[in-house]
Amino acid sequence: MPDEVQLVMPADPEFLRLARVTAMGLASRLSFTIDEIDDLRIAIDELVFGLIGTRGRPGRVTMRYALLPEGLEVRGTGSFEDGLPTPGLTELSSLILNAVSDEHELSPDGPSPTFRLLKRRDGA
Amino acid sequence: MAFDAERRQELREKFNEFAASRSPQTRAELIEAHLGLAEYLARRFANRGEPLDDLVQVAATGLIKAVDRFEPERGLEFSTYATHTIVGELKRHFRDKGWAVRVPRRMQELHLRLSTLVSTLNQNLGRSPTVAEIATAAGVSEEEVLEALEAGQAYRFTSLDAPVPGEEAGSLVTTLGDDDEQMTDVEHRVALSPLIQKLPPRQQKILHLRFFEGLTQSEIASRLEISQMHVSRLLARSLAVLREAAEED
Repeated sequence: MPDEVQLVMPADPEFLRLARVTAMGLASRLSFTIDEIDDLRIAIDELVFGLIGTRGRPGRVTMRYALLPEGLEVRGTGSFEDGLPTPGLTELSSLILNAVSDEHELSPDGPSPTFRLLKRRDGA
Repeated sequence: MAFDAERRQELREKFNEFAASRSPQTRAELIEAHLGLAEYLARRFANRGEPLDDLVQVAATGLIKAVDRFEPERGLEFSTYATHTIVGELKRHFRDKGWAVRVPRRMQELHLRLSTLVSTLNQNLGRSPTVAEIATAAGVSEEEVLEALEAGQAYRFTSLDAPVPGEEAGSLVTTLGDDDEQMTDVEHRVALSPLIQKLPPRQQKILHLRFFEGLTQSEIASRLEISQMHVSRLLARSLAVLREAAEED
């Protein structure tokens, strides 16, 4: 079992900073370079906004960070109370994520939309 | 503010009617009926240095968006939906005023110091440095480095984001040059979208180099002769602007 850190936060962009800082702290432990850390930060923004939209929504997002031998895996799961569709990724978001992550997916359907992100360390 | 049962039912019916007709008159009536909610929420954000009248205007803008976007068939109460939209609008107002994110002076100074240090380390190591390497070179903890890096993302960290004198003018089309022909259809559609064209030319260029050409931030910094951390800030800023613009589109 890889080491894992969990963060449960309100589905509000004001708390996105916590999701980013947690990822940055863990990536630093894995000796990511700051280029890679910046990529990670951009990727987390895009994916969380894909769940909650730019204004946020009632509910929460559970973030799970797994420290894998090859890098950092981040999973996010939304639990929302508004019954509205999850925004998902725009064409631009997908393009950005292709550039800054090694693997990513967002499943907007159902009551608990999720995303997964993998960022490998250089050379891993 | 609260409506009695009869009034609530009347308003539900009006929302159904508006959903079908999109009648401007019904829209005006629905907005008028909920202005009390907008004022109530605006008052909750008062005493933070903004005139109440301005906040009421901002809240009213949120209310109008809520009326236009509300889908009654989803079964959610309009007041719940509108409260979220209006509060979002008010928060955004404060954020755009630059008061939501306060970066302590100590962190601003460390951020500036690290900016130079990262460039030096980049050159010496021949690659982007790790946080531990930056911390050792700066004589601060890794946590402080991370905090300073994050501080640079504050949207209104304007002193660092001020345009550089002599920045070239022109649209993305002119800055892309020959690379333009190699772009795929998707890249064309995205890159040339009106949203991106609203960004300053240098930010367009950085977006193109990072996301379409796949250069790293350090490589972009080297090519444009600015620091990696400046590239990072400009990228974060561009993406925030694009996100908000897309939302309003």
